[in-house]
Amino acid sequence: MNHPEVTAKVSVSDAAGSLPLYSGFAAQISHGDVRELRGPLLVAGGIDGVGWDEFATIDMDGGERRHGLVLEVDRDLATLQVLESTDGMSLGGIRIRFEGRPLHVQVGTGWLGRVCNGRGEPLDGGPPVTGTATLPVSGWPLNPVYREPPQEPVLTGISVIDGLTTLVRGQKLPIFSVPGLPHLTLATQIAAQATSSGQSFRVVFAAMGLTHADIAYVRDRLEERSAEGELVLLLNAADDPVIERILTPRIALTIAEHLAYTEGHDVLVIMSDMTSYAEAVREVSAARREIPARRGYPGYLYSDLATLYERCGRVKGHDGSVTIVPVLTMPAGDITHPVPDLTGYITEGQIVLAPEIAARGIYPPVDVLSSLSRLMRSGAGKDRTREDHLDVAAQVLAAMARARQATELAELVGAAALSETDRSYIRYRKLVENGLFNQGRDEIRSLDDTLGRAWEALAALPEQELTMVSTTFLERYLPRRDDRP
Amino acid sequence: MTGLAPESDAALGPVRMALRAAAEKKAAELRDAARSQAEALLEAARAEAAGILAAAADEGEAAARSEAALRSARARREAHELVLAQHSSLRLELRRRVRDAAVGLTSDPRYPGLRARLTEQCRELLGPDATVSESPDGGVVAEAGSRRLDLSLPVLAGMTLDSMPGAGEPWSR
Repeated sequence: MNHPEVTAKVSVSDAAGSLPLYSGFAAQISHGDVRELRGPLLVAGGIDGVGWDEFATIDMDGGERRHGLVLEVDRDLATLQVLESTDGMSLGGIRIRFEGRPLHVQVGTGWLGRVCNGRGEPLDGGPPVTGTATLPVSGWPLNPVYREPPQEPVLTGISVIDGLTTLVRGQKLPIFSVPGLPHLTLATQIAAQATSSGQSFRVVFAAMGLTHADIAYVRDRLEERSAEGELVLLLNAADDPVIERILTPRIALTIAEHLAYTEGHDVLVIMSDMTSYAEAVREVSAARREIPARRGYPGYLYSDLATLYERCGRVKGHDGSVTIVPVLTMPAGDITHPVPDLTGYITEGQIVLAPEIAARGIYPPVDVLSSLSRLMRSGAGKDRTREDHLDVAAQVLAAMARARQATELAELVGAAALSETDRSYIRYRKLVENGLFNQGRDEIRSLDDTLGRAWEALAALPEQELTMVSTTFLERYLPRRDDRP
Repeated sequence: MTGLAPESDAALGPVRMALRAAAEKKAAELRDAARSQAEALLEAARAEAAGILAAAADEGEAAARSEAALRSARARREAHELVLAQHSSLRLELRRRVRDAAVGLTSDPRYPGLRARLTEQCRELLGPDATVSESPDGGVVAEAGSRRLDLSLPVLAGMTLDSMPGAGEPWSR
């Protein structure tokens, strides 16, 4: 192996060549004037020319290396948040090297199949991920003129999503849940099963503030996709530093953008749980002594969330797309809580999970009457999924609304007092919930299967009730039965 | 107690016969009903048992399938981690060799020129008052107040290696 000699010679001839020797020398200057250690914060003095949000490396006496982010600069003082916490640090024996720029990551296909922590360092025992380009994790704002409207579906193999709230390439569609519901199972199932027609599909899973048990579940469930080299896993555990949690979705999106717009893949980014992320933002904001707004979250939470969610989409002249599915838990099921509230302003619809549906043993417990994919019309229907898709979805939802009324009425007056039509709606609800919505946790359903099940449930209703579907479709798809009313 | 007249026996004969026949018929009906009920119960029980067996078999099959999938996933992950660990140790070995080789460059005829340029760089970055001294590993280390700039040869070698795309991946060549 003669690489070391070769490389060493290169370094000499480079270094001995023309000045400036190497632009990275300035980032090698280390500062030893540490004034204070307070919780996860470190205050360094004698600082000159250091910027807000700059990334820093902290060398400790024993050779250990930690990382930090500049939270605040005041004259010659810089306050850093140490990513790995300040445990075991003492004022002497710390040297800080400022990188001269915010955090950058190397991007490339080397990320595929890797498992890293929330700041992109390997957890799988492998070498650091290297790539073909180095990009800032905060990303570049995309010129709105270069955007292309989302089109074509992303099929998840989950009936209730594909059938009624179709996910579209380039869309941002959050899952709203409450603690205790299987939102992570659903998000993981989407990550394991999602595909788009024609294009190569890649998934970036950013876990934020998950417990170790949840992380083990996610790793096991997604192992197959990971082994195929179609998945990037970034795992920030609940006991990992909060500042890292703020970086995790940004690193995930930076990797995803490169995979999409440079490598031409359709990329799905799953971010779970955004409520943990927002809590990390609140914690860091408090450390920066910013003025708190609603429920202690900083006033810029909306724009901060928008800088993440708005990185999805399709770009003119590029093949790939970035689709985002953030998962957020609503504390105490409160949909007016700042996190779901502000998310709802930015995203294109929502998939809402409901505890009372989960209590009836239905998985995924999607409350279809509160859920909506605003871009479904661009991704479903003739030439995209199937000609009858949009009509069937509308009919299933309309019938669900009527069935809910009929069920409430039956609770008051008894089913026997209802009309035959109302009773058929109650039968329909059972059929649609058990036949169409309820699904195995590792069951993949084709779109034809899903729509077939929807027609099967609609067949429980009298034909004159199916007013949202054209007669051509009724003749073509409605299952024929002798005992039909 | 008075017995019946002896001739009454003959007269009651047909009544007895009729009563007995009715009782026997009733008994047979009851027996048949019991038998068919028992058969129906048995049939239902068998069907239920078959149903439970089939459900249990399906469940077991599904559980075994997911368990097998989990095990193969874990085995594959372990295999992949072995490969990655090998990559990692190769990379560390390369870095170590590069740093060692860098230390030996002090005897290179171009070294004094390099050292002079490094010293110049240190003064440019830390100011003219910086104290610049030679590192035991070759190269220079400069200090100015609390600021220090380490441009020793192993550090320079590490930086060069970091800046070369793909150089940290000896296994890919």
